[in-house]
Amino acid sequence: MAGINLSDRKETLFLEALGSPVIDMNNLRKLCSTGIVETCGIRTICWRLLLNCLPKQRTKWPEALEKQRCEYQQFLNEMIIEPGLKRCNAAPGLDDHPLNPNPTSEWNSYFKDNDILLQIDKDVRRLCPDIAFFQNATAYPCEPLVSPTSRLENLRKRVERSVLSSQNLTRKRLGISNLISSRKQASREYDTLEEGQEAHWEVVERILFIYAKLNPGTAYVQGMNEIIGPLYYTLASDPNLEWKEHAEADTFFCFTNLMGEIRDNFIKSLDKSGSGIEASMNRVLCLLRQVDPEVWLRLDSLAIKPQFYLFRWITLLLSQEFSLPDVIHIWDILFSDSRRFDFLIAVCSAMIILLRDEILTRDFSHNMKLLQNYPLRIDVNTIISKAKEIYHNLRN
Amino acid sequence: MSLKSKKEPQPQPQRRVFKVIVIGDSDVGKTCLTYRFCSGQFQDKTEATIGVDFRERMVDVDGELIKLQLWDTAGQERFRKSMVPHYYRNYSSFQNLPAWIEECNKYCSSSGGIPRILVGNKSDLKEKSEVDTNTAQRYADSHCMPLFEASAKEDKDFANIEAIFLTLAHKLKCHKPMMSGDYPSMKRATVLSIDKELVRKNSDSYCANC
Ligand SMILES: Nc1nc2c(ncn2[C@@H]2O[C@H](COP(=O)(O)OP(=O)(O)OP(=O)(O)O)[C@@H](O)[C@H]2O)c(=O)[nH]1
Ligand SMILES: [Mg+2]
Repeated sequence: MAGINLSDRKETLFLEALGSPVIDMNNLRKLCSTGIVETCGIRTICWRLLLNCLPKQRTKWPEALEKQRCEYQQFLNEMIIEPGLKRCNAAPGLDDHPLNPNPTSEWNSYFKDNDILLQIDKDVRRLCPDIAFFQNATAYPCEPLVSPTSRLENLRKRVERSVLSSQNLTRKRLGISNLISSRKQASREYDTLEEGQEAHWEVVERILFIYAKLNPGTAYVQGMNEIIGPLYYTLASDPNLEWKEHAEADTFFCFTNLMGEIRDNFIKSLDKSGSGIEASMNRVLCLLRQVDPEVWLRLDSLAIKPQFYLFRWITLLLSQEFSLPDVIHIWDILFSDSRRFDFLIAVCSAMIILLRDEILTRDFSHNMKLLQNYPLRIDVNTIISKAKEIYHNLRN
Repeated sequence: MSLKSKKEPQPQPQRRVFKVIVIGDSDVGKTCLTYRFCSGQFQDKTEATIGVDFRERMVDVDGELIKLQLWDTAGQERFRKSMVPHYYRNYSSFQNLPAWIEECNKYCSSSGGIPRILVGNKSDLKEKSEVDTNTAQRYADSHCMPLFEASAKEDKDFANIEAIFLTLAHKLKCHKPMMSGDYPSMKRATVLSIDKELVRKNSDSYCANC
């Protein structure tokens, strides 16, 4: 069948491109711009290259990867394992709560970090609910953190404790001792996992926590979970077992580099700046106005503001709009563009234009629901061709 | 029917649209609550809301069919400042209720007292504790809001959830029209949503605030 031959041929082209001693990035981008093949772990190599997590010289790969993975291990030690050991040796007692009048700065930041951790925890538990993957156990748990003999405070215990300690605190302050039952709320979530196991979402939680500690300016903002989700899923499903084992560390670096490019969307104080979310939303609308003024006018006159749909589309790089395989396919193409987030602007415009008939004839409510629940009947490949058409017309 | 078209006089009686904004801390169950009301189902698996989600349902209020527009907002701080001015043209958990009320007042004061109700969700998760309900009740009273406890999860609680939104619709129907409204048939209300579990956790700061 032609289809199979074609994808075989594409695979060969990819293998050739990735096999050369110095990767020709232009050539690779071109290949990726029609989607990356699903076989041989090609995608995870391409994504690492496109996100600048691997050097162009093949011979430097082992060294570069080794360095990154060691670096991540250091972060893990410094930010989770060592504080966890300290906590397990700390005497529980009065200074064990945030209202201690003489907290050391160390305690202060510990409690501040707990707030961030709790928010991450709420969100990663809700990650990609359509698939079971994130609830499943990883084959590569972080041993020192999950070992049943270790008394170290891992993130799981830390979340549990901070929920409990705020309950205890309430009890103390109200002076009512039977008010609250110290129900171990968090523990029921792990019932399905055997001892010594870790769910994939816990790995994601750890990466996000480390990212937040290293980037106090942004820390953690809801939606970052939706950016890291497809990255981690892809790297942790690598058929290349040697790389799959290091999915956690490598995802951290891919995520950090990707965030470096889209971070401004997550920062409230930059909303109005040239690189903030408002500017990006306006760029979509400007493009729409140029390409399809009638649809633009219609949305405008219905008072359907970009904040109601484009905000999420752009902030999450469309990850909540499509199924995971479709998101990954779209990201292949986004990552392959050297001005990648320009292409995102074109994709968003294309998505709107492809709904033009409905937008022009239906009312506010209908169109709001339409844009917030992008219809399945429109194939991602249709969207991508339309986006490319717009994008190329624009550049010529 | 579009919002704009409501400005024009129409021969048949206009169908009125009531706008309801659901606010509160992340993870308290705003999405589940509104989804339950609009679809009858418990959405077991939700994603964090980014921005704002729009849902609606027709309700019958004293014989008049009214469209309730529900704006299900994101709980996290980052999205409030960016999104809020847009959906309030017209915003918990318990610890944060004062902040939510303040935000609500900030955007609503000009139109003179938007009806509000307070919902303690996830009532299935707790053995009912007198003190908690009382604390929440006193708080609701002091802000002139009715208090409801509900569970988006329990099927048997569906009627209760309907009652919440119907109460609001009634309040809206009786509410005097807004002075500055460009959409005369549009009425607005706010549901402050909290998680019953968090009522327990954070009632200390509530005490500090009243
Ligand atoms: N037991 C129980 N769980 C609930 C109930 N309502 C919601 N939940 C759960 O609480 C979690 C959060 O629910 P959401 O509706 O997504 O919370 P939200 O308030 O919309 O959160 P944000 O979108 O982040 O602001 C989900 O895991 C739900 O399954 C309830 O009535 N009972
Ligand atoms: Mg929500």
